[in-house]
Amino acid sequence: MSRLSALAVNDEGFVFDPTTGDSFLANRCGLLILRVLGEGKDDKDAVRALTDEYDVTSEEAERDVADFREQLKAVGIA
Amino acid sequence: MDKLIVGVSGLNAADNPGPGIGVARSLREDAELHVEIVGLAYDAMEPGIYLDWVVDKSYVMPYPLGGGEAYIARLLHIKQTHGLDYVIPNLDAELPLFIQYAKALNDNGIRTFLPSMEQFRVRGKDKLDEVARKAGLRLPRTKVITSPETIAAAVEEIGLPVMVKGIFYKAYRAATMGEVFQRHGELVAEWGYPVILQEVVAGDELNVVGLGDGEGGTLGLVGIKKIMVTALGKIWTGVTIKHDRMLAAAQAFIAEYKWRGPFELECMAKGDDVYLIEINPRFPAWSYFATGVGINLPSRMLRRSLGMPVPAALDYPAGKLFVRYSFELVTDMDLFQKAVTRGEAP
Repeated sequence: MSRLSALAVNDEGFVFDPTTGDSFLANRCGLLILRVLGEGKDDKDAVRALTDEYDVTSEEAERDVADFREQLKAVGIA
Repeated sequence: MDKLIVGVSGLNAADNPGPGIGVARSLREDAELHVEIVGLAYDAMEPGIYLDWVVDKSYVMPYPLGGGEAYIARLLHIKQTHGLDYVIPNLDAELPLFIQYAKALNDNGIRTFLPSMEQFRVRGKDKLDEVARKAGLRLPRTKVITSPETIAAAVEEIGLPVMVKGIFYKAYRAATMGEVFQRHGELVAEWGYPVILQEVVAGDELNVVGLGDGEGGTLGLVGIKKIMVTALGKIWTGVTIKHDRMLAAAQAFIAEYKWRGPFELECMAKGDDVYLIEINPRFPAWSYFATGVGINLPSRMLRRSLGMPVPAALDYPAGKLFVRYSFELVTDMDLFQKAVTRGEAP
């Protein structure tokens, strides 16, 4: 199981990593991205999910997903 | 089954909690064991003596020093006058004595479940490099000091700051050479040589409590991360985790050395690297955390050594929180008086 799919995520944005014991708070956009990536889908799917849910362009969504990926990397998850 | 009288040491429950209360609580939670807990204390003020819902009767013991004859004689006295079927020693300084006398105690009807002396030595603070390698973990740069003349060169090699550790207890972070010498002197005065100098590794403190069956098999493992620690470095809050590399290392340790009894791995995770800091050859003070998430290791240990069925389940939930708290008890001076004058209470 990948680290992403192992994350425990609740509707209020609380994210727990059972491997390290670290916990984070994610906003609604972050939660949506985590849910998509946690299902084993890729960044393109996450971009599509954002554009389906919010009134943003693909370019904006791509930047947001890329930025979120960097944040996940910074905490050792992705 | 008949009542089982189990002696448990490590009854301090103040700012530096011992493992005894958690071990005793765990045993009580297995109703099939029918345990009576006999506390083995070193001081009449050890809180466990007064927690009558955890400890049924307590004895003040002599320190396990020298040849240990006085300590063993006291155990035999307890056996003869009160009864004692099993002992779980929970303090590092007791273990060499118990291991040395395990057969003699068993011949007198007092059972234990302990590693061999060889196993005990192999996880010593001064011998961790081989264990770390076989467990797939890294080891901070470590130097074993047996005389003051070697300190300067060792610190030069490791660099400052450095951890200065006693062979049994205590570890200090030293930022200057003067501090290294000072702490070295204190540790030698209290515990003798060797003193361990170790590289400071920054990262997340991760720990595992485990139980080996003595044949290479695992009777249970629980991994945790310490979230909040006290000024003495003792866990105050924690969370269960499933860190694959750390849990695999614990299983490898059990399998490689056929470890018999409880142990704790203290690790430091820094990015993808996991460093082995220490192996404690007994239950840690937080071992009730494992019981709380369904892995009752003290109970499993007794069941295994008594030939009773041992739960096969090894899984536990990650994300469970451990919260230690202060609590007050108001009780009679009578217990303290008996502990002081008679060496036993109640």
